This record gives sequence, structure tokens and C-alpha cells, in this order.
Amino acid sequence: MSTRLKVLIGVGLYLAILILVGVIFGSAGENDEFQPQNEFLLEPWIPIEIGGIDLSINKAVLYLVLASAATIGVMTFLANRMKREPNRVQMMVELAYDLTRNNITRTNLDERLALKWFPFIAGLFFFIWFSNMIGYLPLPTSTENPIDILGLEVPTFALYAATANLSIPLVLTIVVWITYNVEGIREKGFFKYFASWLPPGLEDMNPIGKGAIFTIEVLSHMVRLISLSVRLFANILAGHLLILFMGGGLAVLLGVAALGLLTLPIAFAFFVFELVLIATLQAFIFSILTAIYIGGATAETH
Amino acid sequence: MVDLVLPLAQQSGITDTGITDAGKAIALGVGAGLGSIGAGIGIGIIFGKEIESVARQPEMKGELQAIRWLGFALTEAVAFYTFIFGLIAFFL
Repeated sequence: MSTRLKVLIGVGLYLAILILVGVIFGSAGENDEFQPQNEFLLEPWIPIEIGGIDLSINKAVLYLVLASAATIGVMTFLANRMKREPNRVQMMVELAYDLTRNNITRTNLDERLALKWFPFIAGLFFFIWFSNMIGYLPLPTSTENPIDILGLEVPTFALYAATANLSIPLVLTIVVWITYNVEGIREKGFFKYFASWLPPGLEDMNPIGKGAIFTIEVLSHMVRLISLSVRLFANILAGHLLILFMGGGLAVLLGVAALGLLTLPIAFAFFVFELVLIATLQAFIFSILTAIYIGGATAETH
Repeated sequence: MVDLVLPLAQQSGITDTGITDAGKAIALGVGAGLGSIGAGIGIGIIFGKEIESVARQPEMKGELQAIRWLGFALTEAVAFYTFIFGLIAFFL
């Protein structure tokens, strides 16, 4: 039997099952009970409220703690077990260390600043990476629709990540934003730093034009707050939404069982794409932009 | 546009909330869809140019790889901004 025939038979079988399921189960009508946005709802597990501010322990807090614990635990564990002949895990960690040290930090900062800021930037990279990766492990955290197993209410499995909630990327972004501004002021002095926001070559311009350009520069620095946080948050959120909808959410929502069979391979493809590329890429982008911002704030000529 | 649609919809028994919901759904669909067009073109340009550069100077491959991913992620994010603003319009 040739390969071509096998592939054809496989595709035919898949389509036949698809049509069979479509004919047998048909359409159950639109489902109004299932609310896909509830997947991202944060139910307070341990309600804490201090002075009107909601500080409850919920799903996002659990994932945040998990990501921090994984970052600290795995990295210190591996650092204590470093050997002269590296095994495969150590090779991977050394690769990541090399990436954060040489590609991210050293290409954007000079020697002195690279030494100073490497721990911060590598810490950001590893924290975001672990947070993204934990997000693709289905964990029993969805308390909205618990299953009853032998009288025990067991929460259903759900995909969620600390970075899929805007608060955490926003906090990281604010930390980065304050860091690079403070570092710039420390390097150049208060007035010289803000003067360096103006691009070079404007010495002969009148004050009104300079003021207009300075306003635009201030805006561009403010927009960094939005772009850096929303980029990370939206990438992870959209990835989870895609996997959720393709992996059965769409079929449940529309009540067509055959549709689920059709979208499941797409869900697998997106899962692999997100896991292999997006999770690492977003951590890389966040940390390299941090390095670029710090480098831009401290560079002699803007 | 609204003046045109509202009386028509009310004649056929569609409520105001129904029209609002439809508008939100259209906002999400059109916003995210049109945003994806621009980002798609941008990502295509980035990868095309990178292939071109590597074909011209294969020894630059390592350096270009890092720049490529940076450009890819920055462009891709634009699609997600429209998506997020669509979601904001949809849920608020």
C-alpha cells in the first residue's frame, strides 16, 4: 500500500466519522448556559478585603504563587546541581542563561550596566517564561463548574496563567517603567535626562517646536506602559481563548458535536504553536524591551 | 445610519438591547478582523525581508534571527491590540 493511499484512506475515514457524528447527534441548538468568558472569571476563594480594596485569594493569585515558586525552586535547584559534564536539562538552562546574558542584556547595555541589570532582566525572563508555561498545563482550578466525585466537589481542569490577567503584566511593566526612568535620572541627572528625551539635531529649533516634540516624546514614553503590558497579556489571553474555543468551546456553544471533531486538530496545532513559540517569544520580547528601554535611558547620545 | 436602522428594526420586533448586542458583536468582529489584515501584511514583510537578507548574506543569519523575532512579536502585538479593544467594546 502506498503512502498516498494510506493518507487518502485516513482523510476519508476522518471525514466519514465527522459526517456520521454530524448525522447521529445533529444540532442540539444554541447553548445559552455556557459562558466562555467565565473561564477567566476570578472567584474569591478566601475573601480578604482591606480598606475597600479586594485582596482575595483567587485563581490568579494561585498561578502567581505557582509561577514564582517554580522560578525560584527550579532555578536554585538546578544551580546547586551544576556539573562539569552537563546533562540535557543543564544544557537547556545554560542555553537560556546564555540567551539572557549575551543576546538580551549585553547587546543593549554596556559592560558596567549589563553586570548591574542582568539579574533583573534574567529574573523577568524566567518568571514570565515559567508563568506562561504553567499556563499551558491544565490544572484543576475552575471552581465554577465542579464535578461531583464520590461526594467530593472536585474543580474542573482549566487553562489559566498569571500573565493572562492584565494586572500582573501591568505591575511588571510599571516596575520596568519606573526602573528605566530612575536609572536614566541616576546616570544623567534630573534635567539632563528629560532633555535627552529630545532627539538630537534640534539645537536650532525654536522653543515651540521643541515643546511640541517633547510632548510627543512624553506620550511615547506613556504609551510604553500600555504596549508592554497589553502585548504580553493579549498574546497569552488570545492563545488560551483559541485553545478553549477550538478544543470544544465552539462546539458546546453552538451545540454541534461534529464541529468539535473538526476543530480539535486545530486546537492541537495552536497548542503546540503557543507552547513552542509564543510562550518563550513573549518572555524574550518583554525582557529584551526592558533592556532596550534601560539602554535607551542611559545611553550618552539619544 | 442609526436613524435608518432603528425604525426598521423596531417594526420587525427587534429590541434596543438586541441592536446594541449586534453592534458590539460587529465591533469585535470587524475590529479584530481589520486589525489582523495589517498585522498579517506586516509579518509577511518581516519574514520576506529576512529571507531576502539571508539569501544575500548567509553569514548574517544568527544576528538576523534575533531581530526577526523582535519584529515579529512587535508587529503581531498590533493585531492583539485591536482584539483587546474589540473585547472591551464587546463586554462593556
